[in-house]
This record gives sequence, structure tokens and C-alpha cells, in this order.
Amino acid sequence: MVLADLGRKLTTALRSLGNSPVINEDVLKKCLKDVQSALLEADVNIKLVKQLTDGVKKQIDLDNIGTGLNKRRVIQTAVYKELCRICDPGVKPWKPTKGRSSVIMFVGLQGSGKTTSCIKLAYHYQKKGWKCAVVCADTFRAGAYDQVKQNCTKARIPFYGSLTEPDPAVIAYDGVETFKKEKFDIIIVDTSGRHKQEDSLFEEMLQVNNAVEPDNIIFVMDASIGQACESQAKAFKDQVDVGSVIITKLDSHAKGGGALSAIAATQSPIVFIGTGEHIDELEPFETTKFIRKLLNMGDIEGLIDK
Amino acid sequence: MLSMFKTLVSQKELTEASIDPILQKYKDNLISKNVASEIATKLISAVKNKLVGQTIGTFSSIKKAVFNGLEESLVQILTPRRRVDILRDVLHAKGEGRPYSITFCGVNGVGKSTNLAKICFWLVENGFRIMIAACDTFRAGAVEQLKTHVHRINGVHADSVKLFEQGYGKDPATIAMHAISAARDQGYDVCLIDTAGRMQDNEPLMRALAKLIAINRPDAVLFVGEALVGNDAIDQLTKFNKSLANHSQSNNPRLIDGIVLSKFDTIDDKVGAAISMTYTTGQPIVFIGTGQTYKDLNSLNPKAVVNLLLR
Ligand SMILES: Nc1nc2c(ncn2[C@@H]2O[C@H](COP(=O)(O)OP(=O)(O)OP(=O)(O)O)[C@@H](O)[C@H]2O)c(=O)[nH]1
Ligand SMILES: Nc1nc2c(ncn2[C@@H]2O[C@H](COP(=O)(O)OP(=O)(O)OP(=O)(O)O)[C@@H](O)[C@H]2O)c(=O)[nH]1
Ligand SMILES: [Mg+2]
Ligand SMILES: [Mg+2]
Repeated sequence: MVLADLGRKLTTALRSLGNSPVINEDVLKKCLKDVQSALLEADVNIKLVKQLTDGVKKQIDLDNIGTGLNKRRVIQTAVYKELCRICDPGVKPWKPTKGRSSVIMFVGLQGSGKTTSCIKLAYHYQKKGWKCAVVCADTFRAGAYDQVKQNCTKARIPFYGSLTEPDPAVIAYDGVETFKKEKFDIIIVDTSGRHKQEDSLFEEMLQVNNAVEPDNIIFVMDASIGQACESQAKAFKDQVDVGSVIITKLDSHAKGGGALSAIAATQSPIVFIGTGEHIDELEPFETTKFIRKLLNMGDIEGLIDK
Repeated sequence: MLSMFKTLVSQKELTEASIDPILQKYKDNLISKNVASEIATKLISAVKNKLVGQTIGTFSSIKKAVFNGLEESLVQILTPRRRVDILRDVLHAKGEGRPYSITFCGVNGVGKSTNLAKICFWLVENGFRIMIAACDTFRAGAVEQLKTHVHRINGVHADSVKLFEQGYGKDPATIAMHAISAARDQGYDVCLIDTAGRMQDNEPLMRALAKLIAINRPDAVLFVGEALVGNDAIDQLTKFNKSLANHSQSNNPRLIDGIVLSKFDTIDDKVGAAISMTYTTGQPIVFIGTGQTYKDLNSLNPKAVVNLLLR
């Protein structure tokens, strides 16, 4: 399961509260320290981790929350609440509407899985009866158009691209216009990988954005990313209006905690996760369900005041 | 000023109590610079063990002693015990009348094919002729990606590179074998073997990689890992090595000989993956990838990395 490792460690840390006869400052400290290391080992951004534990501490006044069971309850609830606060940007995910053409643009770091996920997403909607197409606006990566062409051909997804046009914004515009005329429901635009350190690449992303005026921009992130996630995700968000996140390669045992940093940095919900290289290995994602699963919340859930 | 002077002169022996707070700060700093947290923890406790009980000169500060101790350990981790000198080894193989071969492996999308192309360009610039074996027969566009690179490099140095490919779906180990013998027959100096990306837990795919390497026994096995990777770096390297060992059916299996650390240009000062990877394997970082063009291939400067980590 996604982030299973983190979930197990967090549960263990919280359970340890149940094992100590009294809950005092030291026990709380030790528990929060375990929570911290669990999060750090899962690649959650170190600043977020500090925020989270500070938040928990602030909620808890050990002297005034009664004894024993109640103390444990309060601490567990506080951890849960803080995690939710980080994982839930409070934004409703974008959804396509019938009867009009929607444009979805994919952006992200090099090799994060954009092209693969574009095609998976087109396939996902196509299966549900939407008319989908993919535009390859990556003129940089060697073999990028062949990758789209081969994958789309196999899945019978219409595609557009060019081996001669050097300007991705031109291709993106032409492709989107073509499919709009043909009344496609969902037009997915794949773009080159890029990173914040190279201004020209970010400028190019803006040009493609302005050419196609996407209804939704999806930031694609590799689950194994570490501490660099936050600043990259934030830079993408600052340049274009990222609205959703896809986390890829969650079929590995990657810790996936970078995902939490991506939500915080982009203030966007995770909408799908990639769990393999094959076209059908894409799963819809819901944050709240996820946290509950993550924390194995069976025993804690009943403790939360609704 | 006076009180600072006092602590300087009164402290002579380093105690756990005196260095722990400083070390904890460094640990957080290492983690924020993307050193895997497990490794940061181990590293800090090793430095602690090394320092506790040491006496320092009257006029040196505890802070400085901790800094020096940590710096020394970090430099040591990054300084290879064994140098991988590819140009020398290529010449050596050439002297034996056979092509030198390198297999590139790693998880998905880290930059195997691109850095293979950069290394190819570098070898060509050094006067060698290269055969590239297209052994990623799975990912769409993988063969055309290499074709494009071969075309571009030949555009700069005519007739320097050739692609050996059999399209998609075929057995990679067999293609590599044929490519190496074609390289031998046709007088190519080096055979660069591109493989498909695979997750370290994907048993069948790991088995297939081990088979390719066991059958062909390449002169070098390079693991490509990206500088962006966090704690997963440990798991990736450990499991790739383990799979190569377990599935090889040989007493003397070929394991990872060196690391290509890619996307080094995307991480600012968060250079910690360099530590995570070398600490895990004890193998050297042979190249760092610093961009997407052929020129963006460098060697690692341990001192510079350590300076960033301790800043
Ligand atoms: N195991 C696994 N592999 C994936 C997943 N998603 C993508 N990949 C693989 O990751 C690698 C990179 O994927 P691409 O889709 O080419 O990545 P990209 O972001 O388009 O790359 P650039 O265009 O070069 O920036 C490929 O080998 C994909 O097969 C996933 O969910 N699981
Ligand atoms: N910024 C930067 N990008 C890089 C570097 N090395 C590779 N890339 C980019 O990373 C993406 C993936 O590179 P590939 O060489 O296709 O990766 P791969 O490991 O062969 O991928 P698969 O074969 O799909 O597993 C491409 O967009 C490359 O241009 C680097 O050093 N810096
Ligand atoms: Mg792509
Ligand atoms: Mg490749």
C-alpha cells in the first residue's frame, strides 16, 4: 500500500503512548520524536515535519487534559488533525464537464512520468466514454513523439505531434485547435520535462500554457523524490496555475512522503497515483481515505470528534 | 566576548553533553540537504563516537572540532577507495583485441539513456568508436530515443557510433550478447548497453537484469541514480546489488561498479543523495549529470559537495 511503511511507523509511535503507565512531558517528547523520524524517513519535507510537531505541541497542554486514556486520545487526535491539515489543501479537484472541450496540460520534472501518465489518463477517461486525445508538445526529449505515437496507437487514442516544428507552443496550439474542432471532450497536452533552475524552460512552459489556456494543469511527481520536492513544486506553481497532482511510481517501495510536500507546496489535491508502467496502472486518489488508511486509523477514527 | 573566551579555555575534553546539541543541528541540516535520514543518523553517531573523549587545544572551539570531525567523515565517504578509470580500461581492452562494455541500470526515468548518450559522446571525443545496444525493448520510444542520439552524434563525428537494435519485445540479454559480438567483429572499441528502467522490488524484471549481466559480464556495471531521490536511494542500491548477487548463479557475480548521479543541476544545494548512494554501496560516483546536453557530464568534486552539506 501507498506509504504503508510510514503508516506502520506512525501507528507504532502512537501505540507507544498506550504502553507507558504515565504520560508526561518525556513520553510525549519521545512519541513526537518517533513521529518525526517516521515522517523524515518517508521524505516528508523537514520544515513540514517541524510544523506538524509544533502544531501538535501547541494543541496539547499536558497538565489540563485529564489523565491516562484521555491524554492518549488527545495526543493521537492532534497528530491526526495536523496530518490532515497538511494533506488536505481544501480544494475540490477539477473535473471535466460533458458537452465542451477541456484541455489538461501536464508539467513536471524530467523523467517524472508525465508522458506515461498523459496516456494513462486519456485511457482512463476513454474507457468511461469520454472522447480523448493527446497532444505531444515535447520537442526536446529524443524519441518523445515516438513514445506518444506508439503508446496511443496501441490504445487507439488519437494523437497529434510533429517531428519538424521546433516550437512546442505552436504544436500545442495546433493540436488543441484540431481536436477542439473535432469536438473532443478531453485534450491532454504533454510537455517536456523541466526544472526551476533553467529559466528558458520555465519560460517555454508559460508559452505553451498561454497558447492552449488549459482548464487544468497537472503536476506530475515521482514518489521517490526527496527534499528538493518542495522548492521545485512551488516553482512550478508560481509559474503556472497547477490545479492537481499525480504521484507516479508508487509501485515501488518508495516512501512517497514527498507527495505530502507537493500538496503543501502547490495547494493542490492528488487526483491519481501511478502504480506501474502499464496503461491501466493508474488509480484515482482521495486524500481523506488515504490518511485514514495511512494511519491504519481503525482504532483512532472512533476517537475523532466529528 | 569574555564569556566566549572563558568557554574556549575551560573546555578541553569533548563530552557527549557538549557536542550533542551541535551534532543534532548538523543532523537536521544534513537531512534538509537530502541525505537519507537513516544515514544522517548513523553518520552523526559515528562522528559522535569518534569525538567523545578527544581533547582539543585550549584555543580551539568545540564547534570547530565538531565541524572538522564531520567534514572529515563526509569527505571520506565521497572519496573512492577505488578509482574507475574508464579511458584507461577501454585502452586496456582494446589492447586485448576486444570491446569494453558498460551496462547502465537503474529505476525508471532517472536518466540512463541520456547519460549513456553523454558518455558515448565523451568516448567519441576521446577517439573511440562506439556500439550502442538497445536493450530497453519495453518502453515505447526507447529505441527511437537512442536512434536520435546516434544520428546526432554521428552528425558531429561522422561514423563514430552505431546502434545495435532488434526493435521491441525481444530478450534484452540476447540482444546485448549479439551487440557485443557485433562490436568485436566490426572493430568497435566500446559497447554501451542501455537497459529498461525497473523498480527494485519488481522481481521478474530484476531477475532479467541479473541474467543480462551474468551472461554478458560487462566490464563495468553503472547504476544511474538521480540526485533528486530521497530515502529510496538506499533501497534502490541495496536491492539492485542484492538481485545481481542472488540471481547470478555465480560465485563471483558482477555487481554495481560505480554510480552515475544524474540531474545534479536540479537540486541547488540539496546534494545529499551523493552521500546516501556512496555510503550505501561504498562505490564511487563515476560521473555526475548536470543537464540535458552532451556536454553536461562531469566528475564529482567531494570537497565542494561537503562544503554545501555543512553550510
Ligand atoms: N514503475 C513505474 N514506472 C513508471 C510509472 N510512471 C511512469 N513510469 C516510467 O518512468 C519512466 C519515465 O516516464 P515518462 O513518462 O517517459 O516520463 P516523462 O516525465 O514524460 O519524462 P520526460 O518527458 O523526459 O521529462 C518510464 O520508464 C515509464 O515507464 C509508474 O507509475 N510506475
Ligand atoms: N536536468 C537534467 N535532466 C536530465 C539529466 N539526465 C537526464 N535528464 C532528463 O531526464 C529525463 C529522463 O531521461 P532518460 O535518459 O530517458 O531516463 P531513463 O532512465 O533512460 O528512462 P527509462 O528508460 O524510461 O527508465 C529526460 O528528459 C532527460 O533529458 C541531467 O543530468 N539533468
Ligand atoms: Mg515525456
Ligand atoms: Mg531509457
